[in-house]
Amino acid sequence: MTGSDPSASSRLPFRRRLPVDARRYMAWVLRAGLLVSIALLAGGIAAYVARHPGGTVREILATNPIAGYLSLGGLAHGIADGSPEAILTLGILVIVVTPIVRVASGFYYFERGGERTMSMVTLTVLLLLLLGLLVLGPLVR
Amino acid sequence: MDLWAWVLLLGLTGILAGLLGSLTGLGGAVVVIPVLIVGFGASFPVAAGAGLITILVTSSTTGATYVRDYLTDLRIGMFFEIATVPGAIIGASATVLLTHASLDDALLVALGIVLLAIIPGSLRRRNEELPAGVVPDRRSQRLGLVGEYHDQATDRDVRYAAAETSPALGVMFGAGIVSGMFGIGAGVFKVLALDHYLRLPMKVSTATSNFMMGVTAAAGAGVLLAAGYVNPLIAAPAAMGTALGAYSGSRLLPGLRNRTVRLILIPVVAVLGAETILRGVGLP
Repeated sequence: MTGSDPSASSRLPFRRRLPVDARRYMAWVLRAGLLVSIALLAGGIAAYVARHPGGTVREILATNPIAGYLSLGGLAHGIADGSPEAILTLGILVIVVTPIVRVASGFYYFERGGERTMSMVTLTVLLLLLLGLLVLGPLVR
Repeated sequence: MDLWAWVLLLGLTGILAGLLGSLTGLGGAVVVIPVLIVGFGASFPVAAGAGLITILVTSSTTGATYVRDYLTDLRIGMFFEIATVPGAIIGASATVLLTHASLDDALLVALGIVLLAIIPGSLRRRNEELPAGVVPDRRSQRLGLVGEYHDQATDRDVRYAAAETSPALGVMFGAGIVSGMFGIGAGVFKVLALDHYLRLPMKVSTATSNFMMGVTAAAGAGVLLAAGYVNPLIAAPAAMGTALGAYSGSRLLPGLRNRTVRLILIPVVAVLGAETILRGVGLP
């Protein structure tokens, strides 16, 4: 059965498909990014609560504990020190970067398949994502 | 409140958000944000930052399953990200600037109105299982925006083709702005574009919306993270619960009928929209 129209897709001049390994790779990227991120966030939360037994929700809501870890140097230093806040920051970064890696892999597969329009679309999306993360955020702070 | 109790409460909120988000394509932030603001007194941009993180988690959790099961249309999803991503960057930047101008309450009322505005469209399509009479437009044919999947609920192979891509691009841009501005996935707007304009089957719309939401949310979260509005002590417990809820939802969706999915969505959005507006105008 054809959901939209019995003849709709058969009328198309061709039916392009991404290779099966593209689908597998993108699913793997998403799963791996998620698992790494959740592990870091769970470890970071456990370490934070253990280090701040008298901490309150009011303090959490009033402060931004990761302000010192948003630069690469600050993050590396915090991770080396075993700072729970730095581990949490890394977990957040991994989950934010995961779909960006997925877009980059889409660009690779479209480019490899010679699909110029789709590869330009994914490249533009990739550049916009990096623009938002690296340029616009710090600008509007 | 004890910090472990805080973690547990946010984790449970995340489970509910992930379950609903994965089933409806809503993302789940529409559950997390009002709970953070109304229940815990978080400021709007901080709640929005946590909301975007839960969307990212929902998208990655469901994406890993739906992509493998062919429910997600990769080509359509990636093509329409050209509209949602710039919208999300503009929306997130606007939220930070409006917050600097102390317009938090106005943002809350606007979010509530956005939530309530999606209900009539969902009610109109409540009995539709699969769209019929679809004619793909020229862009759809040129880019090969077609696909097929096996529907477990009806045990049938369903083939589809995308119809009106131009209005869908406009709605996707608007969805991106709403997503970045309010910290929600704006999944209902994406589902509207995929379902109403492209005329894709509802489950493909839901799965593709979830897939796209990760990239839209990454664009907005990047801005809010760099601007200092993503607090991991708030986002992390919700994210962990969301992963659990979204995984459960991704196992349930293939076996559900489209009508059931819509019926789950409508009352949740109505309650949250009304609650958010009341908060914005200063009522308890």
